[in-house]
Amino acid sequence: MNFFTASFSSAIQLVFSLDPELLTVVKVSLRVSCLSTLLASVLGIPLGFFIAHGHLPAKRLIITLLNSLLALPTVVIGLFVYGFISRRGLFGSLDLLYTQNAIIIGQVILITPLVTALIVAAISRIDERYAKTARTLGATSLQTAVVIFREARFGICAAVISAFGRVISEIGISMMLGGNIKGFTRTMTTAMALEYDKGSFTLAIALGLVLMTISLAMNVLFNLVQGRGRL
Amino acid sequence: MRHQYELSQLVQSYGGKEVLHIDHLVLERGRIYGLFGPNGAGKTTLFNLLAFLETPSSGSIIFDGCTVPRSKPGLRLEKFRRQVVMVDQHPIMFSTSVFKNIEFGLKIRGVGRPGRTEIIRRVLELVDLSSYASARADQLSGGETQRLALARALALSPRVLLCDEPTANVDVENQAVIRGLLSRINRDQGCTILFTSHDRLQAAGLADETFVLEKGRLVSTSHENIFSCSAAPEQGVCLLQEKTRFFLPRGCLQPLGRSRIHLNPEKYTLERGPEPTPAPGVLHGRISLLLEEGERIRVAVNTGTMVTVFLSREEYQRHRLLIGDPVTLRFGGDGVEWL
Repeated sequence: MNFFTASFSSAIQLVFSLDPELLTVVKVSLRVSCLSTLLASVLGIPLGFFIAHGHLPAKRLIITLLNSLLALPTVVIGLFVYGFISRRGLFGSLDLLYTQNAIIIGQVILITPLVTALIVAAISRIDERYAKTARTLGATSLQTAVVIFREARFGICAAVISAFGRVISEIGISMMLGGNIKGFTRTMTTAMALEYDKGSFTLAIALGLVLMTISLAMNVLFNLVQGRGRL
Repeated sequence: MRHQYELSQLVQSYGGKEVLHIDHLVLERGRIYGLFGPNGAGKTTLFNLLAFLETPSSGSIIFDGCTVPRSKPGLRLEKFRRQVVMVDQHPIMFSTSVFKNIEFGLKIRGVGRPGRTEIIRRVLELVDLSSYASARADQLSGGETQRLALARALALSPRVLLCDEPTANVDVENQAVIRGLLSRINRDQGCTILFTSHDRLQAAGLADETFVLEKGRLVSTSHENIFSCSAAPEQGVCLLQEKTRFFLPRGCLQPLGRSRIHLNPEKYTLERGPEPTPAPGVLHGRISLLLEEGERIRVAVNTGTMVTVFLSREEYQRHRLLIGDPVTLRFGGDGVEWL
């Protein structure tokens, strides 16, 4: 217990001293996670809308497939992407392996199905009368879609935050495709795993605290946005 | 007077099942029409077609002299849709302010900001919601929501206003306000109004003309006195709305599979006086309502089931009827129809 308390108090000191190594790891994590969330949202939001609103013959099958992809393990994605971007892979010449871009590619593959599935759920919950009302007031298909998006904004926001939470806490893709290179591809989770292996808990706990704080901050932000909408 | 709509051989089918079939229907511009019919009669389908939200399976719609194209891939009907506004039975408000809800359609039509503000102020005043401009639209009461839905529609100055049961879910006070609003819009703006209702009495005071849909087709009944009718244990007797025994007129036995009966309010005889012995085609009751409707008088008789008949002014003066008077209604075979 004393060991844990001592590590915890050192970790807090490390956080408040704005340790450069810690800051670099946090910066890399945030950059990679934000970019992959952004890209997955750009892909997943329109795709989710299309699946929810389009008259697709195999809609149920597509949704089942999407839900299955939610359980895809990060190491499987890591292996899969590795096969393509390693020197012997199809895209080996692009020199992507062990770069932040490689992590982003893997993470986009990981969370695009999540964003899409949550968007499908969010859009499907929107009352059909919104679309009908918009159309009878003279809206075009695009303007009607904007109305539906506006009504589903909290669901969309929740989907994006969930996706961000998923990537910032994942380790398999970051480790396999990023290689845990100090100052370059070392993220919070890979750094924590490394520190654990080394038996040095201070940095690991400090990173854990930052991770938890970011997660808490995202949820507070979401609740604030939602609360504002309900005023 | 120019036709607002002319429908010919209009058919709408879903999954091979025909839900609406109108041989010919003309709606004149600037009039108020009441549309009646039981649930599932095709009223909503007809409204969706008239609002250009759906394209018909076959047949033609001529709107304001223009034939509406149909079933063309990528067909854009906004040009027509922007002249017709439909107000739902349960209107839904965008989750924003009252002001922005009304502004939506105006923005789409490219009305400038000063123009929008002026129109919104005017329509809010018309529906008596001026003080609600900045309130959340999705938090209004049922009556206020219905009034706001009308304001949102009126701001667009539509040529046609389609109202699906505009007074069904509001209190009596708001019902009167909404009816008054519809009359005023029709009178002041010459807007053609088509509304559905189950309340024949209220609708009769508002509509210039009414028509009835039954199983997707226009029928010639006035939609007065259409009742569910189940067979009673005795031969030749049925129960109107499960409660009022009605001896069927001779030669008018209930066909198999028909459970709705129409008592024609213009084909009957009325007598004053006490309850007679039960006889075919006879219903006895007391007068509950007398209402002047143009050249005729509507008489509602409580026979256990409320039965409406129409009297000419002369007949009314001859009978000297008063509310509460006992009367006997006699329907012959030609006054009874199975639906």
